Amino acid sequence: MGSIKRGVRNTFRNTIRTVAVVTILAVAIALSISMLIARGAVSAKIASVRDSTGTTITVSPKGFFGFQGGGSPLSASTVTSLLSLPHVAALQETLNQELSSANTSLIAATPTGQLGQQFGGGAFTRPIRVVGTNSPGTALVGGAFGGGTEKIVTGTSFSSTSDADVAILGTNLASANQLVVGSTFTAWSTNVTVIGIYSAGSTFADNNVVMPLTTVQRLSNQAGEITGATVTVDTLSHVAATTTLISQKLGSAADVTSTAQATQSSLAPLDSVQTISTYTLVGAVVGAGIILLLSMLMIVRERRREIGVLKAIGASTGSIIRQFIAESTTFTVLGSVVGVGVGVLLSSPIASALVSASGGSSPGGGFVRRGGGFPGGFAGGGNGFTPPGGVPTGPFRFGGFGRTLTQLHTSVGWGTLSAAFAIAILVAVVGASVAVASVVRVRPAEVLRSE
Amino acid sequence: MLTVTSLNKTFRTPAGDVAAVSDVSFSTKPGEMIAIVGASGSGKSTLLSLLGLLETPDKGSIKVDDVELAGLDAKGRTAYRARKVGFVFQQFNLIPNLSALENVMLPLEFARWSVSDREIRAREVLNTVGLGDDKVLRRPARLSGGEQQRVAIARALVTDPELILADEPTGNLDRKTGERIIALLREAAGQEKRTVVVVTHDEKIAKAADRRLEIEDGVLREIA
Ligand SMILES: Nc1ncnc2c1ncn2[C@@H]1O[C@H](COP(=O)(O)OP(=O)(O)OP(=O)(O)O)[C@@H](O)[C@H]1O
Ligand SMILES: [Mg+2]
Repeated sequence: MGSIKRGVRNTFRNTIRTVAVVTILAVAIALSISMLIARGAVSAKIASVRDSTGTTITVSPKGFFGFQGGGSPLSASTVTSLLSLPHVAALQETLNQELSSANTSLIAATPTGQLGQQFGGGAFTRPIRVVGTNSPGTALVGGAFGGGTEKIVTGTSFSSTSDADVAILGTNLASANQLVVGSTFTAWSTNVTVIGIYSAGSTFADNNVVMPLTTVQRLSNQAGEITGATVTVDTLSHVAATTTLISQKLGSAADVTSTAQATQSSLAPLDSVQTISTYTLVGAVVGAGIILLLSMLMIVRERRREIGVLKAIGASTGSIIRQFIAESTTFTVLGSVVGVGVGVLLSSPIASALVSASGGSSPGGGFVRRGGGFPGGFAGGGNGFTPPGGVPTGPFRFGGFGRTLTQLHTSVGWGTLSAAFAIAILVAVVGASVAVASVVRVRPAEVLRSE
Repeated sequence: MLTVTSLNKTFRTPAGDVAAVSDVSFSTKPGEMIAIVGASGSGKSTLLSLLGLLETPDKGSIKVDDVELAGLDAKGRTAYRARKVGFVFQQFNLIPNLSALENVMLPLEFARWSVSDREIRAREVLNTVGLGDDKVLRRPARLSGGEQQRVAIARALVTDPELILADEPTGNLDRKTGERIIALLREAAGQEKRTVVVVTHDEKIAKAADRRLEIEDGVLREIA
């Protein structure tokens, strides 16, 4: 039996103490692990929100509030001139319109829903939303806002400069109206041909009509006008400066907001979660180290005589040190096994609790009650759909963000486990080092003294 | 064979220096059992710890078979303790969570015996000191004081050392058990030609030794 085996066996000499030390270590290690995992989840979330929001700047008429109207349309030519600004890579223009049953044959697909009835008072028909765009394929801004961008399911799309009386329909709207590719419907007393069906992954996004910008401008008698534009900047670092430049250029006629700015402020709570979890992680590791250190100190004190005996009968100091390192490592391994298990189980609830406690969440459906002009539409079950081209201000934006920010994905990777392993080793080394220092100091001649 | 010349050890305490061993010289022949007697605090244990290299002398020489030990480094002292000396203590000092057999196997590990030989040798020695086969797997707490001291003697003898140092080995035992333990030590000295040094308060036990040395305030003298 070598010194290592003796050390492992010594771990179990005092059952009550072993259970106590292992339990406390497990709690500390579980806390460290869940903090590690929570940090990882939050960092990943921050990174993915940054990535998905990217480098776009939204331009819309002053006071315009999505489909609820407000403000007066911007002139397309003014907006198009933005393309000449430095760092502007692309410009996407939209003209959003609502078709009432008086000027379209289409009927809305979304059920009125309980909340909708509550607000809309029952008998009421919802208008059909028409998105005129010169950028089919990315007209429905998705990502953090709920649905994704529209993807053609059947048929084709139209070109950015098209002036044809064509449309692509959301899957929900198409099926509600039993329309397929090649079917026609009427809008503004004109026959419009369905050339494609798209899906954007959310009930509301899939309830729209997407048509060429020029066609909508012509049919709705708003030639040269748009209700919004999205400017894409070449790199994230130029977003702030370009936003300022566009504001100056458009003056008081437009609201200019960049997703990057909004993202930054909405991510602040997540940053604080990251800080909290870092401190807790460090605290838990230090706590675990101190507990093991004190336990080992207690154990070594208790076994002074035994250490003296071992030295007197020929054990080298090194072999006694090895024995105590094995003992402290066994404590750590037991604590880690229990702690990692518990930590992995706790990490997801802890991460969510941290995020909501730090104010990162506002209820996704909360904005419904403000959207007075649009009862029923959003209430039916949507979480954070932002009307294409609409101004994602205040409750719209944060309603959508809040919900997605709390949807953290916790995962346990090799990185986390090896970090946990490193922590455990660190704790064991700290614990053992005290033992080692005391072992070295034990004078074997002390064994000859009576107690 | 043990030769000690002009051995000195002084402890420096806040209350002043204590000359625990002063100018001690003696030598022994192989197979001899020596008793060291003296009042409490006279320096008996200090002398034993110097002989067992648990303590370093301030001055003087300790030779076992003409090898000088006083100047050994830490590594050399550890090797000497592992191979050349066996200790027997008043409090037995067995490792409580190891069986009798494992306790006796310990010095063999430190003396780097091969793993396969350790158990055979340990059982052999436990047999010699008279611990029943049914008891070798017991932990010390389940053995009587006399049995524990037998295990301790087996542990001291198992590496076949040249020198056995026993500090009041009978101090915690009744007279009859004590006499059996002394007989065992005697046997260990006579049969294998080793030197046994026993510290004792017990005059009767001291008389069983080949020679008696008395220590008083660190000074050693032979009693005729
Ligand atoms: N480590 C030490 N530090 C200071 N003084 C010590 C130390 N060890 C022993 N002494 C002193 O040295 C003297 C001799 O002590 P030692 O233990 O050798 O006596 P002893 O003869 O074994 O006594 P006893 O019969 O009570 O065991 C005593 O005065 C003791 O106080
Ligand atoms: Mg003594």
